[in-house]
Amino acid sequence: MSMTTTGAGTRKLTIARAMAEATAQEMRNDPRVFVMGEDVGPLGGVFGNTRGLYDEFGAERVRDTPISETAFIGAAVGAASDGMRPIVELMFVDFFGVCMDAIYNLMAKNIYFSGGKVKVPMVLMTSTGGGYSDAGQHSQCLYGTFAHLPGMKVVAPSNAYDAKGLMTAAIRDDNPVVFMYHKSLQGMGWLGTEKGATVPVPEESYALEIGKATVVREGHDVTLVSLAAGVHHCLRAAQALEDEGFSAEVVDLRSLVPLDRETIRASVAKTGRLIVVDEDYHSYGVSGEIIASVVEHDHACLKAAPRRVAYPDIPIPFAPTMEQWALPNADKIVDAFHQMMLS
Amino acid sequence: MNHTPTTEQRLWMYRHMVLSRYLEERIESLYMEGKTPVFNMAKGPIPGEMHLSNGQEPCAVGVCVHLTPEDIVTATHRPHHIAVAKGVDLDAMVAEIFGKATGLAGGRGGHMHLFDAKVNFSCSGIIGEGLGPAVGAALSRKLQGKPGVAVAFMGEGAANQGAFHEALNLAAVWQLPVVFVIEDNAWGISVAKQASTAVPRNDRRASAYGMPGVHVADNDVEAIFSAAGDAIARAREGQGPTLIEIETARLAGHFMGDGEDYRPKGEKEGLKQRDPIPRYRRQLLDAELLDDISDTDLVEQAHARIEAAIRFAQDSEFLPPEAALEMVFV
Amino acid sequence: MSTAITVPDDLWEGDSEGVITAWLVNDGAEVAQGDLVAEVMVEKAQYEIEAPAAGVLTIAKQEDEVVEKGETIASLES
Ligand SMILES: Cc1ncc(C[n+]2csc(CCOP(=O)(O)OP(=O)(O)O)c2C)c(N)n1
Repeated sequence: MSMTTTGAGTRKLTIARAMAEATAQEMRNDPRVFVMGEDVGPLGGVFGNTRGLYDEFGAERVRDTPISETAFIGAAVGAASDGMRPIVELMFVDFFGVCMDAIYNLMAKNIYFSGGKVKVPMVLMTSTGGGYSDAGQHSQCLYGTFAHLPGMKVVAPSNAYDAKGLMTAAIRDDNPVVFMYHKSLQGMGWLGTEKGATVPVPEESYALEIGKATVVREGHDVTLVSLAAGVHHCLRAAQALEDEGFSAEVVDLRSLVPLDRETIRASVAKTGRLIVVDEDYHSYGVSGEIIASVVEHDHACLKAAPRRVAYPDIPIPFAPTMEQWALPNADKIVDAFHQMMLS
Repeated sequence: MNHTPTTEQRLWMYRHMVLSRYLEERIESLYMEGKTPVFNMAKGPIPGEMHLSNGQEPCAVGVCVHLTPEDIVTATHRPHHIAVAKGVDLDAMVAEIFGKATGLAGGRGGHMHLFDAKVNFSCSGIIGEGLGPAVGAALSRKLQGKPGVAVAFMGEGAANQGAFHEALNLAAVWQLPVVFVIEDNAWGISVAKQASTAVPRNDRRASAYGMPGVHVADNDVEAIFSAAGDAIARAREGQGPTLIEIETARLAGHFMGDGEDYRPKGEKEGLKQRDPIPRYRRQLLDAELLDDISDTDLVEQAHARIEAAIRFAQDSEFLPPEAALEMVFV
Repeated sequence: MSTAITVPDDLWEGDSEGVITAWLVNDGAEVAQGDLVAEVMVEKAQYEIEAPAAGVLTIAKQEDEVVEKGETIASLES
């Protein structure tokens, strides 16, 4: 299994392009793969991740849908169970409310209900994240919400290399996979793109195993665990800590389900300290799960109580002053480390 | 109900269209501050998404002219024209769009989440989400024996949501005082109505729920006035819900920054030539309800009102960031 | 031989300025003719810049720099 930075030439892609490239390569190889969603056709997706697909594959396989999420996500489940491999888009994860039944009662459970006799090989791709004042119905991450419900794999890449490999793996998987892409990493300049997400990506098709985290920076004083945009905050915090003489290890989860607890535990066993960074809500979510995974396994390895830098338990406010204050960032991670060292 | 508006109603509708349009024009230019040449949504005095209502003003005024503050209106992600016509506090509304402390929600909501309880107005950024609450508010009035009708505005795209069909059925089976108003601007972001909707006209769907369905062509202010007047009168008299679909026009992009490459060439120019505001002005001038002097007066006053609201917003402070933690519960 | 990479005059309608949102090839890398090398954004729309010839890329305008139509943003040495 390759790491994020290996195996690539000089060509770089944005996450949007990496997702589209993986999809196109799978569509060329496998006539069962098709795409449905709002504005995924000629527009190429509001966030660019289906760009070029309509021109290459046409309206039959790249289908603009009505604003009918319950119907077309339910339809994807039906098509997947009947031998197709649909990729459907829920434009913003915040919209899951209008169609969650199709997602967690159908998509996530049909394999189990059928005793494994019915497969549901589909990908639900959906955008996450805020930071650009899109307010409380267009800025959430909801990682924990999806990861909590059994029966669907969940991935959330932090860069284009991982995005392509995880997208390919998701399409090939016989299980439903929720592919959560963070808007600030997407390479759409109008969303204020994180440069670190646009990285070298090989042209040939490749799959990354779902369920494997990766150490994106090695260190020995503290483990910073995060996913998607949070990884970039961690990398900046690690750089700042290095300037202070501390060495932080950064673990990029990449997948939430299955969760690679081994990689996290191994890192914390080495550093003795754990900070989890999550742009999703603080309580009942990814950050608590990561900490529990470490503590219930071996709390003796910890030199300090673990900490989390997560989104407070409030709806996301519109005003930039309030939103920016509430979001995780590198300074908050550095602060959390300082407090950890004081206590 | 009288199908011809009074002079007062005509001038009210015209004035509110002018108010709304000028508000949108000012928001448009303020929104672009800090966003040229690099369009970063997070920048400028109005960050985030911005859905302008230019062209759709007739729907708002033709319906809301029949309403009082006690009547309920739910609107969409494209809410400004409706908010203006429903009498939402302009200062507080513009301040909310700027995210300021003096805004309707102190800046917590923003342009897609405008709530003014004084005039029973609210809106939501989720497609089809205003219908249930309108039905519920109508039910509440019925249960409490209080007067008032509820109007749910939506785009034509919303008519393909489950919530649309569920809410229509519920309103009809309980015979509630609700009016469903579809503003058909022919587009849901880049997807054309005919590519997403199985019937050419959504008013025909009303028959499936045993309620009247009314179609209004050509973004015509007075035809909307008439159709809405009938529907609201029916609701007030306890005769149940009505569905109205209005052919209107989106003169701007779906949101600010939209390249609009999906529009057929010339469509927008054509629509602009049929801009409902100059059309209605001409109608009022021809009917001698307005002359050049009174028109200039009216327009200047409307502009001054909007400028005052913008100044109010600009001069207001932001709440302290920690205020983000407040108002989750009361 | 040196070939300039310029922003094509017909890349988008009107005279608005754009901004380079991403270089998809590193400075100093070899590219083939027709390779996608950069993305330019005008408002929310994104446009692609392709290499007009093969060669080694020298970037003249960096990411986040504002560009006009016709402007040279890089050159290719072959
Ligand atoms: C449930 C849901 N799905 C998708 C969206 C994304 N979205 C926002 S506006 C829009 C188009 C809406 O079209 P229409 O209802 O016709 O209203 P218009 O924008 O034309 O005013 C879409 C798909 C959303 N906000 N909510």
